[in-house]
Amino acid sequence: MIRYVLKRFLQSMITLFIVVSMVFLLMRLLPLEGYFGDGYDKLSAVQKTAALERMGLLDPWYSQLGHFYLKLARGDLGTSIIYRRDVPVTEVIAPRIPYSMYFGITATLMALVLGLTLGVFMARKKGKTLDRAGTAYIVLINAVPSAVYLLFIQLYGTSLFNLPILFDRYRVKSWILPAISLSLGGVAGYAMWIRRYMVDELNKDYIKLARAKGLPEKLIMIRHVMRNAFVPMAQYLPAAILSTISGSIYIESLYSIPGMGGLLVDVIQRQDNPMVQALVLIFSSVGIIGLFLGDILMAIFDPRIKLVKGEGAR
Amino acid sequence: MKRSLFFCLATVLLFSAAIAGAAPKSEDFYSVYSGELTTLNYLVVAAENEHSVIANVIDGLVEYDKYGVLVPSLATDWSNSADGKTWTFTLRKGVKWVDTKGKDYAEVVAQDWVDAAKYLFDKKNASLTANIAYAVIKNAKPYFEGKLTDFSQVGVKALDKYTLQYTLEKPVPYFLSMLTYVCFLPVNGDFLAKAGARFGTDNKNILYNGAYIVDNFEPQVGRRLVRNDKYWDKDHVYIKRLNYKYNKEASTLGPELFLRGEISSVAIPSSLIDSWMKDSAKKAIVRPAETSSYTYFYAFNFNPNFEAQYEPDNWKVVVNNKNFREALFHALDRRAAMMTAEPYAPERRLQNTITPRNFVNAGGKDYVDMADLAKFAKTDSFSKALALDFKAKAMAELAGKAKFPVKVMMPYNAGSTDWTNRAQVVEQQLENLLGKDFIDILPVSFPATNFLGATRRKGNYALQECNWGPDYADPETYTDPFVTGSNYNWPEKAAGYAQANGKTTYENMVDAAKAEVVNIAKRYDLFAKAEAYFIGEAFVIPYAIGGGGFEASKLEPFSYPFAPFGMSYLKFKGQTVMQRPLSTEAYNKLKDTWESEREEALKKSKF
Amino acid sequence: MSDRLPEAIDPSLFEFAEFDEGAGERIGYSDYSYWKSTFKVFLKNRMALHLLIVLIALLLFTFVQPLLPGQNSPTKINIDPATSVQMRNKPPDSTFWFGTNSIGQDLWARIWSGTRTSLLIGLIVGFFEMLVGIIYGALWGYVRKLDRAMTEVYNVLNNIPTTIILLLMAYILRPGFRTMIIAMCLTGWLGLARFVRNQIVIIRDREYNLASRCLGTPTRRIIGRNLLPYLVSVIMLQTALSIPGTIGWEVFLTYIGLGLPVSIPSLGNLVNEGRLIMMSPDLRYQLIFPTIVLSIITISFYVLGNAFADASDPRNHV
Repeated sequence: MIRYVLKRFLQSMITLFIVVSMVFLLMRLLPLEGYFGDGYDKLSAVQKTAALERMGLLDPWYSQLGHFYLKLARGDLGTSIIYRRDVPVTEVIAPRIPYSMYFGITATLMALVLGLTLGVFMARKKGKTLDRAGTAYIVLINAVPSAVYLLFIQLYGTSLFNLPILFDRYRVKSWILPAISLSLGGVAGYAMWIRRYMVDELNKDYIKLARAKGLPEKLIMIRHVMRNAFVPMAQYLPAAILSTISGSIYIESLYSIPGMGGLLVDVIQRQDNPMVQALVLIFSSVGIIGLFLGDILMAIFDPRIKLVKGEGAR
Repeated sequence: MKRSLFFCLATVLLFSAAIAGAAPKSEDFYSVYSGELTTLNYLVVAAENEHSVIANVIDGLVEYDKYGVLVPSLATDWSNSADGKTWTFTLRKGVKWVDTKGKDYAEVVAQDWVDAAKYLFDKKNASLTANIAYAVIKNAKPYFEGKLTDFSQVGVKALDKYTLQYTLEKPVPYFLSMLTYVCFLPVNGDFLAKAGARFGTDNKNILYNGAYIVDNFEPQVGRRLVRNDKYWDKDHVYIKRLNYKYNKEASTLGPELFLRGEISSVAIPSSLIDSWMKDSAKKAIVRPAETSSYTYFYAFNFNPNFEAQYEPDNWKVVVNNKNFREALFHALDRRAAMMTAEPYAPERRLQNTITPRNFVNAGGKDYVDMADLAKFAKTDSFSKALALDFKAKAMAELAGKAKFPVKVMMPYNAGSTDWTNRAQVVEQQLENLLGKDFIDILPVSFPATNFLGATRRKGNYALQECNWGPDYADPETYTDPFVTGSNYNWPEKAAGYAQANGKTTYENMVDAAKAEVVNIAKRYDLFAKAEAYFIGEAFVIPYAIGGGGFEASKLEPFSYPFAPFGMSYLKFKGQTVMQRPLSTEAYNKLKDTWESEREEALKKSKF
Repeated sequence: MSDRLPEAIDPSLFEFAEFDEGAGERIGYSDYSYWKSTFKVFLKNRMALHLLIVLIALLLFTFVQPLLPGQNSPTKINIDPATSVQMRNKPPDSTFWFGTNSIGQDLWARIWSGTRTSLLIGLIVGFFEMLVGIIYGALWGYVRKLDRAMTEVYNVLNNIPTTIILLLMAYILRPGFRTMIIAMCLTGWLGLARFVRNQIVIIRDREYNLASRCLGTPTRRIIGRNLLPYLVSVIMLQTALSIPGTIGWEVFLTYIGLGLPVSIPSLGNLVNEGRLIMMSPDLRYQLIFPTIVLSIITISFYVLGNAFADASDPRNHV
């Protein structure tokens, strides 16, 4: 098992290297004019060259890449060139991560608890009122574009419940609506999938046997059905929690939450290369770790899954 | 004795009561914004977003008053030499640099401007406004480009602690107006050296000498500016605190926030203006917003460089025919086009000249009312009859030489919904009016990334909507896009305008105007003639000015520095936040009063 | 055994059974057909049936609509002949059934044109996703030797922000229908691939697969006959949702500015434009109509997907 972990770790390093280098090269395909603002026409050639040189964009690409990795080895993620000129990337990103993570983790936990409960009950009482109501909710959340219902909730929810429109870290009342809005989609997703997996499980033969044996329904549900139904979902759990670091672009824009959502899109469009590279590095690491932890979690839940070559496995 | 004392006391009391009543009271100012500052380093940035803060925290040598007249700021007096190349300024004494907590750091002295210039002209700092300054200051350009290494030869000197001297390359009549811009602001050399690369990265790494201090700066959360109690003119600063909150959706949520009383001022987006105007309660709090001096025009490209499928050779033939250009010039229904951006009262933003009204003024006469330009200023170019008339003439003259319908490639920025809509409106409108036998307009969408680089700058267009902003207060700035060396529409390549000296008629007219540096009225007159010629030959179709629209605001209008360009109008000095927003009627009344007062002030001014 | 039965039993009740070799070889015949049963169960679901009809009607209508008489072009700007001003923001009336937008274009025509565009994008991208996603996911999940390389490729492609790819594609190829499809196909299949891979990892070492491997069944058959049919229900659900998912993704891309230009109407454009004026009650129709159409499509696909997933589970077959 340790060997498996080590192997995955090395693989991850290679992946990260490839991803960051590719992003680096892709960003350099964007036009040079994009590094300047509107006043580009009025700048002289000397000014343009001076600015590009200051941003480190005139060196040959392999030299730029080399510098980046050397600095990385020393723990320096680079300095922003456009988004916040001359400020180290860590200083720009660090204060924003906690906001995204707090909201994200709270919302994920809420979504898990509410969603799984809802899904389980929906599967138990399949075809009855609760199932229909739950289905209606899931369908609505999926059908109406989130950009629309989030704005709707913000405007009407705040006036209905007398809550502040914009997030303010000193006013606890302003934390409620964003967290709830963030979890709505998750509730629908988890409910839908756990219901599907449970319905599949409930049809299996061993459940018939358990019922024939006379086991109480509740025990069947919890010890057998849920546990098996949950396995495919376990894969996504670590990734879901870790990916909260990237924030939700819609919610954070609407409620003025100074998180990470939208940061990546923003810095890509403004061509702030050091920020893009640092963010991609962080998000990729998070994604890779999430995938890895998900596999491990899945194997823990279901002993039949063998990640490593054991007996019988190919 | 007792009676006189009593009398004194009473007078003092009455006097102070009068003073207290006279000084305007103001609420604090609240606002939301969607574009975060990239830096507070005012010596390198060129964008208005950053300037809106800089204008309030750093003062320059001169500033504009509320009528647009230049008045002393940190310089109390100035003079220039006989040849116009040397300007000497006497500085105000006792002005202090303070830090973010309002503590004294040092006094503002002449050396501060020299230190600022040294930083500005150092290529390594990559200032985006250096070009504006080195265009006029002696030896600055060679120093910037590295050809000159001795800074003492550059035309900025501190003669003594309170005397500053600028030496220019050639006489520049509008030099004073340039001094209000970022590249001519002072900096404390000592502080700058200590801060190094971190200068301006946040509110603690900058010093203040202006009306406000940035006392709180949290990127992506908000900022707060408080009144500087050590400010030399603090009696004229009425708003105590300026509070800004960041919100990416500021334009969508703004109107709602204003209605809930959470912000002091908001621009009403054009999509909402109709419904606001229909609601009587909302209509009562809406007022027109001021237009800016940013100019928009439709340019004909004389240097076509686009794909063969759009027939560039054919375009090159037709664009050189004046009747063809005139046909399009008169056929464009600019009002219909403007409605895509400004559905309510689009006429406010239309203009018939390239240089806007209220930009410059000589002896009480506005520039656009001078020489032949006056008749263009008053006439709307849109005329169906004239358009069809010119169409007939053009088709007759070009029969056999050009292929009809002419393909007109018109790029637009797909990232802007307004512009995409406008492209469709213009296409259908022109084709319907002139007929599809004459032109076939082809709107081509380009992504927002490097839009101008892919279209206008490469000559990759036949007809395109372009814009230009002024760099200083002189009509010369509006000729910059059209002279040789620029990359707008290459009018120098138009056939049939070359004169004896190899240059085109227009350029010779512009050169003659530029040469006139002593008699300002004559200078403006010559520029007006050149611009009238340019429009008369239909090299471009003047379209609109920027700004405008409507706002709901509690800010008192016409009380802040009025300037035709630059960042003076971003200052909050002199403004108050009123209890209630103004309605359009009240606003218009104030505007009329202001305009007549301004006329008087301009006539009396020396500069 | 004695030839004679006891007197109490009636001999005529018995018949001698001959040994018939042919009958011994006959196996139990059942006319069970998987797909036939699936459809039978599916059609029994009333809700799904109704929505299927609605969806087919909608799809047919979107393609038939331009051919009907009296339809306006979705891009033509309608000018009021009396004032020669664009007929902007007109609420729904008898000439314009869904009203007009902010420059006077007929919203009815735009919505149907937009639905066509979005559905086409959804179908093409969905089909591509399914093809590449399932094949890639199955191989990735099952063939251990390929696991490393394929995880590598997945990780790399997944972690390069789609924004960069979309931005570059829009910059190089210029925004348009083709560009969107190419960009979405390039990045959309990753989700389905991972999903399939996870499912396969769960069942690849079950006994019946061990048995197949023992018997020497080729990989292709194991994947095609052992694994995928087991996953039909979840794959169908995922695929059914991918079409509204693609449309939702298009809405998001338009939100961040990388979508189709508004000169090509699509549900994404229409929803985003409507969203900006949500706050004025008399303009809200510009948001409501596209949202309703989008919702109908999504709801239909969702319910149909679930119904089909339920029906394709053999344990639900009668």
